[in-house]
Amino acid sequence: MTLATVDVVRILGTVFCVVGIVLAFLVGRRRFSELSSEHQVSVGNARVSSAALWKILAFAGIVMMPLGSVSLANYHTFETVHEVQACGQCHVMRPMINDMHNSHSQTLAARHFRNGWIAQNQCYECHSDYGLSGGIAAKAEGYRHLARYTTHTYSEPIAYRGQFPNDNCLKCHRGKTPFEAVKSHHTVNGLLAASTMSCLSCHGMPHPSRAARTPGSPEYAELMRAADE
Amino acid sequence: MGKSTSDLSRRGLLYAVAGVAGANVLGAAAWGGLELMVKGETVWHKSVCRFCGTGCGLQVAMSGGKITDVRGDELAHNKGVICVKGSMVRALPYVEGRLLTPKIRRGGQLVEASWDEAMGLVAETFKRTIAESGRDAVAFYGSGQLYTEESYTANKLFKAGIGTNNVDGNPRLCMASAANGYNSVFGKDEPPGSYEDIDHATLFFLIGANPFECHPPIFERIRRRRADNPDVRIVCVDPRRTLTAERSDLHLAPVPGTDLLLLNSMAQVICEEGLVDTAFVDKHVRFSDGQNTVDLEAFRTFLDARYRPEAVEQELGISAHQIRDVAFSFARAKATMSLWTMGINQRTQGTFLNNMLNGLHLLTGHIGRPGATPFSLTGQPNACGGVRDTGALSHQLPNGRLVANDKHRAEMEEIWKLPPGTISPKPGYDAVSLFRAMEDDRVKACLVMCTNPAQSLPSLDRYRAGMEKCFLVVAEAFADSETAKLADVLLPAALWIEKEGVMGQGERRYQLVEKLIDPPGQARSDLQILVDLAGRLGHGAVITAHTPEEVWDEWRNISARSVYNFKGMTRARLRKERGLQWPCPDESHPGTVRRYVEGDDPLVTKGAGIEFYGNKDDKRAVVYLRPYVPSPEMPTSEYPMQLTTGRVLEQWHTGTMTQPIAELRTAAGDAAIEINEQDAWRHKILEGDIVELRSRYGTMQGKARLTRSPRPGVVFAAFYDAKLLINRVVTDNVDPISKEPEYKVTAVALRKVNS
Repeated sequence: MTLATVDVVRILGTVFCVVGIVLAFLVGRRRFSELSSEHQVSVGNARVSSAALWKILAFAGIVMMPLGSVSLANYHTFETVHEVQACGQCHVMRPMINDMHNSHSQTLAARHFRNGWIAQNQCYECHSDYGLSGGIAAKAEGYRHLARYTTHTYSEPIAYRGQFPNDNCLKCHRGKTPFEAVKSHHTVNGLLAASTMSCLSCHGMPHPSRAARTPGSPEYAELMRAADE
Repeated sequence: MGKSTSDLSRRGLLYAVAGVAGANVLGAAAWGGLELMVKGETVWHKSVCRFCGTGCGLQVAMSGGKITDVRGDELAHNKGVICVKGSMVRALPYVEGRLLTPKIRRGGQLVEASWDEAMGLVAETFKRTIAESGRDAVAFYGSGQLYTEESYTANKLFKAGIGTNNVDGNPRLCMASAANGYNSVFGKDEPPGSYEDIDHATLFFLIGANPFECHPPIFERIRRRRADNPDVRIVCVDPRRTLTAERSDLHLAPVPGTDLLLLNSMAQVICEEGLVDTAFVDKHVRFSDGQNTVDLEAFRTFLDARYRPEAVEQELGISAHQIRDVAFSFARAKATMSLWTMGINQRTQGTFLNNMLNGLHLLTGHIGRPGATPFSLTGQPNACGGVRDTGALSHQLPNGRLVANDKHRAEMEEIWKLPPGTISPKPGYDAVSLFRAMEDDRVKACLVMCTNPAQSLPSLDRYRAGMEKCFLVVAEAFADSETAKLADVLLPAALWIEKEGVMGQGERRYQLVEKLIDPPGQARSDLQILVDLAGRLGHGAVITAHTPEEVWDEWRNISARSVYNFKGMTRARLRKERGLQWPCPDESHPGTVRRYVEGDDPLVTKGAGIEFYGNKDDKRAVVYLRPYVPSPEMPTSEYPMQLTTGRVLEQWHTGTMTQPIAELRTAAGDAAIEINEQDAWRHKILEGDIVELRSRYGTMQGKARLTRSPRPGVVFAAFYDAKLLINRVVTDNVDPISKEPEYKVTAVALRKVNS
């Protein structure tokens, strides 16, 4: 069995947490004024005074372990929000995910998924803009979604705000023969680059239409079925 | 000690509360900031594409009174898909070369004039011509691109006001054979099925159509259907290996002009192999030889005598086993959908071909079920709704009525509140006859609206001369179209979202285009021009509806007296909904996806299941025995090759709207004469050589493009490029029934001029 980075991080974080709590507890009970600076303790090959050892342990328990846990937790969050599962936590995203997994759907998301064009983290791959700032922007947007969702300040069907940036399509398709072979791709290059002409206009809808995602529509129940059914 | 512990706890609690509150404030502030940073929702307006007959729903983004973006409308029938032309329609209102003021020809030159001067001259000339030479000396030549309200008003002005049936238009050049085909088979025009059938068909029989280039969102839908279901098969019949053919499962390239042999031969196989749906035929079909009713046995005898696959394969250019394969697939598929357009319509046997295509569906029962339907694709955005349905053609009156039918004329006179006998019983000139009538002064004044006959007519040299003789009034959006150059009076017309009106696309759907911007300069809508002209000609009492909404209400109510009934399509509904398909008799009716089918079509008698009510007597559809007659343009020793014409993906029709858009012009490049590599080898023609095409009608030189697309013996040229007016070479032979010219087959001689 091989462990994914995320699993290693999860285990490491838990260990950091437990060790930190145990150390903090022990350090809290220790009276430092009573520790001898003469009494030597063996730590591996080295010998240190018990006072120095407890100072090191205190530093580890109070500073290093919490810092490590928080960093690992952050890393863990940042990594797992890439996963489709994370987006699926909110039920408003369920139509997109169910549709993507529907082997008969003809939406762009479903076709990309079915044909294995995007191997993993399908939501994030198309919805994080190019570059470092793109990743941050996607996470900020995710945070905004979370705030909206938990405070119930949204209504169905949800709608994409602003323009979907074509760069998310072009980062894979540009330079590939099927894309470059289309003459008009070259003549509208400027418009595509500026996202003032959408790739989706000619190539179809990425997700089920807003009409289908409206509660009460004929397709709504099917789109909303629990992901694990 | 106890006190101090208690103090610490309280402080700790305070810190904790403050910490939590601070975190909340920070979180909320971050959320608020992010909400502000996210771009606001763009204001999008529902609209319809200006270009082809697919009639795609659009969303137009506006900012500061200007279009900033155009997207496919996901709630419209096209489900958000448009093509590159539709995407670039955003540039259309802003292109250079728009006609901004009226112009009058003085001393051979077109000079600027006021609206009053220009319209005064038009009215005066029309009045004088009518007084001197009679009502039939004036004419209207309209377009499948005018809004329905405009075509309806023009038709009424000329037929009910002036009293001439000289009302025709460019739909005669593209859809007349399809319309005649439907009329003769089902008793009424317009297709029975819908685009939605694409989502259910298992065999697509594409013949004489190139939807990948000419109706891209439709072909995209077909491809999606196939991708979802590997059993779905696309068969493409075209003398060229078009981009559609390349993406089809089977491409059959017939000799141009012979494909009635294919259809008859398919029917022969279907009969011989016992593939006729006899239950359906017994109940819903009548056979006719064009004069008399005959039976299935007579139909079989007719086919066996001449159209066995082995008997036609040489002349047709498609092998017998392929004919059998296609015939079998056609009949045995779960749901067969045929799609065709100009390759079938623009033919001297166009009506017969349409008859047989509909006939194959009737024989095999592939009609009236999801996915099973004959379906003619349309070239223009409003030839169906605006011209065919309003009867704005020389032989027609509204809603399928005929000029030559006394009862129909009397009905329209009653509806239009005209004195009996107002409408002339004499059918007017169809398009080609109209321009012939200009040659010998039978027609002396003509109003041309929203079309470019000086580039789109066949045998151009002949008809351009006629147009120069005639007093030509041209309402046009562009200052230098080929037709504008021949005008005596040029009237600047509003375009697309610069005016309001209804358009009807290929599947009986009427959609409203709302006015979003003002027209440039002094341009006016064609409706304003017609209303003004009616007043000046003294027909204000006939043309009482002056705004698009008033005209629509008049027209909507008239339709209620026919099987076209769309009374339920109020303006308010059209503003809200993404178009509606007729019949739609009342405001609660959702519109009709499948015509003649009970439960969907409100006009079908209860319990009938399927009912072809257009043929009033027996409510049956007609399968005709249609003999193949070779085109007059088959190769000869003098003209050993055949020319066929068409369109390309990035350009639309004569290019007046698409050529000024740089992105489309550059993508399409200049038009060239496409020659099969084998023919080029024999003629020692290299890529880029100047070659000459000579036909019985004209001569044209252009650059050669070597390709494997047209079958050997066939050359192709697109007609969008005014620098290569290929229609100068094209035949003006017409179908004797539909009067549609045979653009697709012209015998030519090919010669290399130089390299």
